[in-house]
Amino acid sequence: MEHLTLETLSRLVGEAPDAAERRHLAECAECRAELEALTEQTLALGRLPEIRPPLGDWTILEARLASEGLARPDRDFLGMARTPAWMKVAATILLFLGGTGLGMTLAPRSPFSGPSATPGGPDTPYSFTASSVSTLPEAEAAVRLAERRYMDALVQYRQLLDTEGGSARGTTPESRLAALEYLVAAGQAALEQAPADPVINGFLASALAERQATRQATLRQVGSADDWY
Amino acid sequence: MPSQRVTSRPGRSALTEAQLIQRACGGDGSAIRSLYERYAPRVYAVVRRIAGDDDLAQDYAQEAWIRAIRALPTFRGDARFSTWLHRIAVNAALQALRRSDTRRKREAPMPETLPVAPRIGDSLLEQRLEAAMDALPPGMREVLILHDVEGYTHEEIGDALGVASGTSKSQLFKARARMRTLLQGIDGTDTGQGAEAWSI
Repeated sequence: MEHLTLETLSRLVGEAPDAAERRHLAECAECRAELEALTEQTLALGRLPEIRPPLGDWTILEARLASEGLARPDRDFLGMARTPAWMKVAATILLFLGGTGLGMTLAPRSPFSGPSATPGGPDTPYSFTASSVSTLPEAEAAVRLAERRYMDALVQYRQLLDTEGGSARGTTPESRLAALEYLVAAGQAALEQAPADPVINGFLASALAERQATRQATLRQVGSADDWY
Repeated sequence: MPSQRVTSRPGRSALTEAQLIQRACGGDGSAIRSLYERYAPRVYAVVRRIAGDDDLAQDYAQEAWIRAIRALPTFRGDARFSTWLHRIAVNAALQALRRSDTRRKREAPMPETLPVAPRIGDSLLEQRLEAAMDALPPGMREVLILHDVEGYTHEEIGDALGVASGTSKSQLFKARARMRTLLQGIDGTDTGQGAEAWSI
């Protein structure tokens, strides 16, 4: 007995068999089972779920829409309204740890003798050690100096990564961008609570700068793959 | 135009879809984001399946959204917004696929076995189906996705692909048969087990 072909059985998933096919199916358990499997396969395809786009997808799209003049930036995006609670907690912990790290940098047991620092502006020489920080303006100046040092170190770190080709190790630009978005959102929320806090301001400035750099890098990548439209 | 109520932001007043579309037309980033959040999984799913590749899928989805936002002023509400957007996504993905070299690459001989890269949250059956679809030649994959996954008619597929509806039918039957063979290859033990093989 010659079996029905797989293509014929595929047709019979949605169409009625002719007389000969009906007779064969009535007699052949193997073809009936194959038709049943094909029917199940087709039904399963119709039940496939939606797929969430990768993290950072909206950020890239938002930048493209803005660059093409199709959208104004979504200001509310920086709010915490839609940030998952666990992410808020994680960001808060990160902020706390960052602040603690900065505090330890300035702690008396670690004499701080940086280069010229600035109590009121970037051009005024100001030298101090942590033990000499006893007034609020001095403490603010120390924080600003620490921020500057952090930014300098960050720039050097990025340059080293670029020259050594290690910038992408273990992290995609999209996932990094998504993580930075959360950090920026956390910083914004924290700033609402303490608008003048220098640590939070410094943290947010760093996160914003990094996000901008990562966005530009990501857009460069996107641009290089855009030749098809 | 449909007026399903959707909440654009927690704590903000709810806007109808029509209002969101109207604001999005004016370049309101918040409204565009609300539409994106609502429909991105559906758009991404169809372009991902047509692309057959994660990297291409993101590019195709982005292109679909750019086209949709650009064309938003022409949306008159004759069809549901989701249907209108879906068509744009399908067309964007199909056109992008035709312009890319991947079509030629994908028409290389099919592998004997298929690697199934698991994705968190996918059931084993879904993983097998997605892997088998990715391995289909583009012509078959497009017809199978549009018909069996997305529910298009052969006439609609013919319009989208620029082929006769009869061609769409024959491609579909071939695609289903090839899927069956590929899935048996993935299972390794499926041959002859019929529908039992589908019980996960």
